[in-house]
Amino acid sequence: MPPAGIWVDGLVQSCIYVTMAFGMVLVFSILGILNWTHGQFYMLGAFVVYYAITAAGIPFPISLLISGVIVGGLGMLVEKFVIERLSVPGYGMLYVTVATLALIFFFEGAAGMSFGLMDKGMATVLPGVLDLGSFSISYQKIAVIIFTLVIMAAMYIVLNRTKVGLAIRAAAQEPVAASLYGISVGRVSLIVMGIGCALAAMAGGIIGPVYSVNPFMGRIPMIMSLLAIIIGGLGSLTGAIVGGIILGLLNSVIAYKISYFSEVALFVLVILILLIRPQGLFGAPAK
Amino acid sequence: MKKWYNVVAILMATVIVVGVFAIGCAKTAPPQPTGPITINIGEPVALSGSASPWGQIPTPFREAWFEVFNKEGFKIGDQTYNIKLIQVDDQNTAEGGAAAAKQLIFGDKCKFLAGHWTWNFSAISAVTNPAKVIFVTRTGSPDALPASWKGAYDAKTMPYVVFGTPSQDEFTFNCFALVDAFPNYKKLGLLDSTVGKGGPGWVVLQDTLNKAGVRWQSEWFAPGTTDFAPIITRFAEGGCDIVFVAGWIGEYMAFAKQRWEMGYKDMKVACSGPFVSLDMYKAVVGADAFEGAIGAYYDNSQFKKTIVNPKYIAQCQEALKIAAEKTGKPYAYTGEIAWLPSHVLILVQAMQKAGTVDDTDAIMKAIRGGTFDTTIGKWTMSGAETYGSPVVFGTPACLCVIQGGKEVYLSEHPMEPLP
Amino acid sequence: MMPYIDYKTLIPRTVIWVMIALFLILPAFTTNMITLSIFISSGIWAIAVMGFVLILRTGQFSMGQSAFMAIGGYVSAMLTVKLGIPYWPGFLAAGVVSGLIALVIGVIVLNAGGIYFSIITIAFGEIVRIVALNWEAVTRGAAGILTSPPAPITIGNFEINFATSVVPYYYFMFLLVTMAGLVFWQIDRTRIGGTFRGVAANPMLSEHLGVHLMKYRVIAFAVAGVFTGLAGAYYVTFLSVITPLMFDLWKSMQIVMMSIVGGISSIVGGALIGATVLYTLGVYLSRLPIYNIQYLLFGAVVVLVLLFLPKGTGLVDLWGKFWHKVFREPEEYEIPEESEMAVE
Repeated sequence: MPPAGIWVDGLVQSCIYVTMAFGMVLVFSILGILNWTHGQFYMLGAFVVYYAITAAGIPFPISLLISGVIVGGLGMLVEKFVIERLSVPGYGMLYVTVATLALIFFFEGAAGMSFGLMDKGMATVLPGVLDLGSFSISYQKIAVIIFTLVIMAAMYIVLNRTKVGLAIRAAAQEPVAASLYGISVGRVSLIVMGIGCALAAMAGGIIGPVYSVNPFMGRIPMIMSLLAIIIGGLGSLTGAIVGGIILGLLNSVIAYKISYFSEVALFVLVILILLIRPQGLFGAPAK
Repeated sequence: MKKWYNVVAILMATVIVVGVFAIGCAKTAPPQPTGPITINIGEPVALSGSASPWGQIPTPFREAWFEVFNKEGFKIGDQTYNIKLIQVDDQNTAEGGAAAAKQLIFGDKCKFLAGHWTWNFSAISAVTNPAKVIFVTRTGSPDALPASWKGAYDAKTMPYVVFGTPSQDEFTFNCFALVDAFPNYKKLGLLDSTVGKGGPGWVVLQDTLNKAGVRWQSEWFAPGTTDFAPIITRFAEGGCDIVFVAGWIGEYMAFAKQRWEMGYKDMKVACSGPFVSLDMYKAVVGADAFEGAIGAYYDNSQFKKTIVNPKYIAQCQEALKIAAEKTGKPYAYTGEIAWLPSHVLILVQAMQKAGTVDDTDAIMKAIRGGTFDTTIGKWTMSGAETYGSPVVFGTPACLCVIQGGKEVYLSEHPMEPLP
Repeated sequence: MMPYIDYKTLIPRTVIWVMIALFLILPAFTTNMITLSIFISSGIWAIAVMGFVLILRTGQFSMGQSAFMAIGGYVSAMLTVKLGIPYWPGFLAAGVVSGLIALVIGVIVLNAGGIYFSIITIAFGEIVRIVALNWEAVTRGAAGILTSPPAPITIGNFEINFATSVVPYYYFMFLLVTMAGLVFWQIDRTRIGGTFRGVAANPMLSEHLGVHLMKYRVIAFAVAGVFTGLAGAYYVTFLSVITPLMFDLWKSMQIVMMSIVGGISSIVGGALIGATVLYTLGVYLSRLPIYNIQYLLFGAVVVLVLLFLPKGTGLVDLWGKFWHKVFREPEEYEIPEESEMAVE
């Protein structure tokens, strides 16, 4: 039985994956594409928070919100000027997908050029460690857990209790019917992209102080959130949350037991899921 | 009639295409210098991609050092020579390395490549050896080891390779230096990414440590890992009180930070490379977690067991000053002292011994088994039996420790020559 | 009476043949290793791109093609280095093995279809990379395997020596690209290709009409696997080394980008143009002293090409449009420019 420290660490990892996966599924259910650039918004969010704190001295929670707004806005620009223009009926989502792939390189290069390639640290943000006997946990990691709970609660409220949320859910489930009821699917797409990217950005911002900030940090979280979505089921928001939690815990526990083979184990698991039960835990059954 | 206009248009287009080809293939004549003759030395180095901080940060020092060196240059007979450094980005990949080597050899006409430390030894030496270009690199990347250690280096098919930095042995002797510094250690933890694991070097390392009676435990992580909690726990449960991390900067910092936060404040963390930028480590790891961190140290003015030619110490100090002036802020990175300058001095002294700057066969002959006086001391090329050819230089294997936020000399275990 | 020469088709075709001839005699003008190497590498990636496009024709989006290059490369390296088999049989074997693996995987996985298939290809690619990295006994891990050039071939008095010059590599690459191009073009042109397009456009209708979906998807995947494996095996001997880090998810993504930029309407032309343009762009960008601009410009160029070319076209379609503009004769009444790409 792995020690408590491992489970807690797994929980922290889960929080990141949950936030990222949630954002990705949100975008997927409205736009119908996997946004490959999702990881880059994570990275950009971390950089915004970094500069907000170190260069402008803005307190951490406000920096997080600012990064959410800025990167969410950037996401909306990408949606409007790239994704919408490339959504060509008849070619499926081919061109959009390739565009989001290309944007990965674009944002990495832009970040590398603008911010430099050296790791940047924010260790001063919430220093200190809480000693709990058999293991300790840094305040920063506690902040990650609290943040995720807050964000998930906020999302629940927005999606279920507000008009915007209603519009989003309607557009996700029945776009044609929704537009008949006067919901502009285009505007909903824009809003959803903004929310999804903001989530990614804030995930990056809250995690920045835990590790470090560099232009390549977005690659692996994107792949991990993809795996989380598969476990939970494409298109299902609950699935994203559950999938993220499972993935995070699994990752830490497997790494503790068999060290570096956890990589292979996770990918094999994903392949098995896709072959045996592609809809994951909560997704709609495959056609 | 219109048809002919079109045909003419097509012919013109064809001519333009051919012309572009021709221009692309044309060779430009190099300008003839006056005075001292300039020798081009090429350096394939990671200037982009994730390894680039290690490639970019030493650049001010490298340029400064060549400025200092070229003041005097070196003489063969009556002719003075200067050196020009040409850097090409090799992106730390096999293709990038091959392309960089081709660019340097065929485009920039370099007969020597030096200062190489990235992971594409095989790809580059595949280009340099047929072209008879001397390639000064390091041992220790998984393929840059002799066949007897399951590496890819073969003295017979690669007669123009020189191992100017014995990273493989340096790592081993750094372990000894750690044990020297902390004689009451319990167990040494060795951590590397799986990219280094396949390397035959680890087998050699483990044998050597076992023979010397060093207690160790090794763990591996997948490249790109940011969360080291599982591995830290495994080390702690295994009783390791010093962990030697052979990974990249990012992983070292993550490990150091996380072990502190997990409560293992007494676990010492050592890095197999020099500290690239103290500010960065402090910002990422946390100033208090970073105290007591250990890293490789190449400040030749501080060596205690290795004697360095005072002229080279002075040159390096001057270069550090010039680098600080150029960048406009204090320049404390001493890591490059053991690399490019040392490699270049080996080449220069070999050229002087052989009496030529063009005949790479004669220069290689002078290098094999020769003794060279460089920025990190005087060493004799070893490796006749283990590598099949005595082309492996030595190293002081010196370590530093962070005290008060600054690097302080810790210990040194000069490398014993290989058989 | 003058015979009617259909100059609208003749002249573009002549230009293509002239360009091919120029490429053929290029080594006579220059033995500049750098230029030739760029073309060799572009050709090799073009083959991988052709494979991707063939799979795309059946409506599947494979993001794991570089894994087949890795498989081909490792098989050829292991056969030549460990078992001492001469290069050419090993090269063919690499293609066969790669194709067989593609076949097996295709049968198991292509049923999932759609996005699930794409994600499985990603996972497959990652697993190939991880296995290559960690199975030291066979692949020697990160150290990789060093390969040597193929043995010299003597034809009469004429010796083709791969070890001394890069020119034989260039000509063989030409041969390989031509062979691959012919195969892919034939498949595309014949009934099978038409069936592929039908399957992609409307799977349900095709199934109703008796087309066995899976069969064609698997065929496409396997054929792509064979040639991508061959391309990988050839690349490995050109670079003299194979390491697990050479073929990863990001390379698969680049293959996808090369295909779209080149244009998926023409399987051979599009692949060649896309691979050459993007690969050469990458090489020249990496020479710029402003570091990391290559990622930025690379991504930007792809996005811009996608945005500014008319929807659904790639660079190869510009070729058709150019000739159409050249030959358009002013009529009494302006005929709107139809998408009549008669000159392909």
